[in-house]
Amino acid sequence: MRASELLAAEVRTVDGRRLGVVTGLRCSLDGPSQGPTPAPRVRALVVTGRHVGAALGYQQENQRGPWLVRALIRALHRRSRLVDVGLIDRVEAGTVRLSAEPD
Amino acid sequence: MTDESFDDMTDESFDLRLRLLDRQVVDPDGAMICKVDDVELAPADGGGYVVTALLAGPLALGPRLPGRLGRWTVALARRWSDDPEPSPRRIPFERVTELGSAVVLDRSRDQLGIAGLEDWVRTHVIDRIPGSRHASE
Repeated sequence: MRASELLAAEVRTVDGRRLGVVTGLRCSLDGPSQGPTPAPRVRALVVTGRHVGAALGYQQENQRGPWLVRALIRALHRRSRLVDVGLIDRVEAGTVRLSAEPD
Repeated sequence: MTDESFDDMTDESFDLRLRLLDRQVVDPDGAMICKVDDVELAPADGGGYVVTALLAGPLALGPRLPGRLGRWTVALARRWSDDPEPSPRRIPFERVTELGSAVVLDRSRDQLGIAGLEDWVRTHVIDRIPGSRHASE
């Protein structure tokens, strides 16, 4: 699977309810690798109602930038949530289907 | 599902899209190799998905581009490829020595064998020039 198959995909619950779209992939740097650098491990999907401006990165707390743009993007993404990737049942044609209802 | 302050997420967590995608890939001497156009993911033993390779080239970038631009990018890359089943250039993640503002590899572009444009020019242009195969004689 490619990261691009997850990014911008719609996320739907078991009963088909739309949770939002994937705007980011939250990782930790502790994955297995045969090289000198641990591989990034995707732990959670960042799911928000809309995709606009997500690639700018201003929705993250540690990002600096023009305050107006930052405020606007954060307002658009204020309802963003993290969904554990362990809940993914399958990925198909731009849709991520979950195997269980998120908490 | 929780807010962005996900329990397992520490200060060390990062967004793959912002930290890895579109970053410059360089060799140990700092020479540019390519950009990270996409990454390959595989299920990991400890849970989640782990990055197993960096993908580069129009066949990796195309699916990320919107609408016709993305479809044309992929179609042209397939049309110009000599491979009947072309795939993106793939760099195994174990080649990565550093993840910073650039992604540093332990080998040069020639050693990796991923110089797609140069290979294409050699096959379709240079090799067709009369005498090009006997330059040293």
